[in-house]
Amino acid sequence: MLLETRDLGKSYGTVRALIGVSVSILAGEVHALIGENGAGKSTFINLLAGVVHPSSGSISIGGEVLEPGSVRASEAAGIAVIHQESTAFQHLDALDNLFVGREPRRWGCVLDRPRMRAEGRRLLAGLGETLQEGRPLAELSVAQRQMVAIARALSVRCRLLVLDEPTASLSARECGALFAAIRRLTAAGVAVLYVSHRLEEILALADRVTVLRDGSHVETRAAAGLSKDDLIRSMVGREVQEHGHGAPSAPGAVRLAVRSLSRSPCFHEISFELRAGEIIGLAGLVGAGRSEVAAAVFGADRPDAGSVLVDGRALPPGDVRAAIAAGVALVPEDRQHLGLVLPMTVGENLVLAVLASLARGGVRRMSAEAAVAAEQMKAMAIKADSPAVPVRTLSGGNQQKVAIGKWLAAHPRVLILDEPTRGIDVGARAEIYRLIRSLAAGGLATLVISSDLQEVLGLSHRILVMREGRISGELSRQDATQERILALAMPQEAAVAGVSP
Amino acid sequence: MTGAWLRSREAGVAGLILLTVAAVGTINPRFLSVENARDILIAASPGLIVACGATLVIVLGEIDISMGALMGVCAAVLGKLVSAEHAGLPVWLATLIVLSLAAGIGLINGLLVTVARVPSIIATLGMLTILTGVGDLLMAGETIGGFPDSLRAFAIGHVGMLPMPVLVALACLAAFTVLTRETALGRRIYAVGSNAHAARLAGLPALRLKVLAFTLTGLLTGVATLISAPQLEVIEAGFGRQFELFVVTAVVVGGASMSGGAGSIAGSALGVLLLSLVRTALIFLQLGIGATYWERAIQGGFILAAVLADHVSRRRRVQR
Repeated sequence: MLLETRDLGKSYGTVRALIGVSVSILAGEVHALIGENGAGKSTFINLLAGVVHPSSGSISIGGEVLEPGSVRASEAAGIAVIHQESTAFQHLDALDNLFVGREPRRWGCVLDRPRMRAEGRRLLAGLGETLQEGRPLAELSVAQRQMVAIARALSVRCRLLVLDEPTASLSARECGALFAAIRRLTAAGVAVLYVSHRLEEILALADRVTVLRDGSHVETRAAAGLSKDDLIRSMVGREVQEHGHGAPSAPGAVRLAVRSLSRSPCFHEISFELRAGEIIGLAGLVGAGRSEVAAAVFGADRPDAGSVLVDGRALPPGDVRAAIAAGVALVPEDRQHLGLVLPMTVGENLVLAVLASLARGGVRRMSAEAAVAAEQMKAMAIKADSPAVPVRTLSGGNQQKVAIGKWLAAHPRVLILDEPTRGIDVGARAEIYRLIRSLAAGGLATLVISSDLQEVLGLSHRILVMREGRISGELSRQDATQERILALAMPQEAAVAGVSP
Repeated sequence: MTGAWLRSREAGVAGLILLTVAAVGTINPRFLSVENARDILIAASPGLIVACGATLVIVLGEIDISMGALMGVCAAVLGKLVSAEHAGLPVWLATLIVLSLAAGIGLINGLLVTVARVPSIIATLGMLTILTGVGDLLMAGETIGGFPDSLRAFAIGHVGMLPMPVLVALACLAAFTVLTRETALGRRIYAVGSNAHAARLAGLPALRLKVLAFTLTGLLTGVATLISAPQLEVIEAGFGRQFELFVVTAVVVGGASMSGGAGSIAGSALGVLLLSLVRTALIFLQLGIGATYWERAIQGGFILAAVLADHVSRRRRVQR
């Protein structure tokens, strides 16, 4: 056994990102790590990398306990991590990117360029790439940058290589080169922890699979004999819990029509209709392009092609003011940064969207503002001592209610909610669900973007699933299950050719 | 490789320098004399020296605007320490004290930015204000004169054809070029400025690098004072004022990006030369009192053009 985590846990405030995970990784194996969005995969990787400090438990490698929360200690112990987000230095060239932080040196400080060059060539050649010296990384292709990142990880004599979604931006040929490199490493006794949503890749590559769900370790088993459906079932779990959703009231007229909306490279040919009183759930993995679609509908981004119609009238593209005037409201994902002005009071936030219409001759009318704020606080059941307390001091759930209430004050006709319950505790969640349902019952057309499958199933009358920028399927409330949604959301294999050994 | 260099900011600024020299030289041939070239280089020396440190600070994504006021304080302290009518200390001791003082102020700037997490523009603005006050207090409305001959000989002396200040500037440029291009330390500075998050994941000591950059900038400001102040008969109040604007403008014109990661010592040096050239050129164009005002306007134009060029090239890169 190479690496063992014992009862490893991480909490952020009251949110438990990882709960008591005990996993062992063997030398020379490809160990796959899978789970839905928010299952705790990134937290697990960051703990191994020493980027975050564990709240409980320990990691030992080669029988020795690893110093927690230290990137240097993890590196020294032979753990190399290729993170999913861009960890490249765009201004530096490939060679500097390969070696920064552990540069070969002469006389203690001067770079040993000849050695860097020779070693860089050798590392990249092992991945089927040639070294492009002197050009900033920003000028290379995405795949070339990825290869540089992998070569960087290989440049240390690592015992465990962690790859977080390494093939997301690679072509089939490049995937083939990567898998060949992985096999060469494991043959030499290096362990590879492989995190991916591409299940077929995992089935072809992995020796064992560990499944995480809601921060907990579900199981670790041999990959041989498993099917894609087995993995999806294990990621989802069996306890599909009904939310006791009332039957959808008869949907009214089409409020929002989206026609062939495209914005390269985020999303392509998105078309759907949303009726009055209807709640559509938009499901998919993080990065599938859901928030980008919302931003384009709202006019915050300008689409390349396609149109957005509200009540049959086309909105001018890329014009937020026109979208608001037509009755579109967007409660964004990042509530703290985009949805609210945290230092301002609850009352001030609640009237932000209607300031101009309440004012007379450009001067604010405090009495009208106070009336609107009081009305919204009551309607939304916002728990705050008074409208005069800063929003910052409220709980996450109440902040979200303020963010929604801000838009409701403007009497929108179409409401888009992006991850409405992220970071909100269970009790407040139920309240927000009740609110969304009663708003829809009142005739509001609602689009809910959510990565939480139970939330999507519990709220929606219809479910659209996005995969890699396209709508991959539509499910009615009756037909939808977590498994079917996940099957539609998981990326299709582009790289199968490169997978087979 | 040559093609890439021709498209670089350094090449652009070098082209502007040649253009300015050619244009002004045509109008007034005396501009092309050896004496004038030497005068321009001497006048550019303090800027060249301090720009080395300022480039590191800006590459790291921070800014320092306290250099001018620090120069004023250093000059006043130096004058008071060495002149016969004040302390009358030996030159070597006074030099050491001034350099330690300058480096110490830089260190404080660095600690304010890293440990206290004050945004660098605010931290160094505060330092600028404090030091301006301290400088005025030290000068007390008087002038300080009477530098000993040994110090004046250093500041106005020559080694062969090269004036001493130019020699010191060239040494600094060479040292910092090697530092930024050929040492691990230098590449790490660029890495931290390029992507702070990735730098953290790579285990780079970002805070220590920032403290170092601010401290070096302070130290170099001390050096710049030592080679420039003793050129004067007396030091007047206001010595060094707005020097920070000159340096920051030059560094940005030379290709450093205010968002960090990009910039070079060569580019910053060319930026200083261009701005110094413009200053002298305006005098040779005999605009009279208007020259000063024109200089400000042209400097301002340069900085806006540089930032716009940076912005446009970045947008083009994103679109690809």
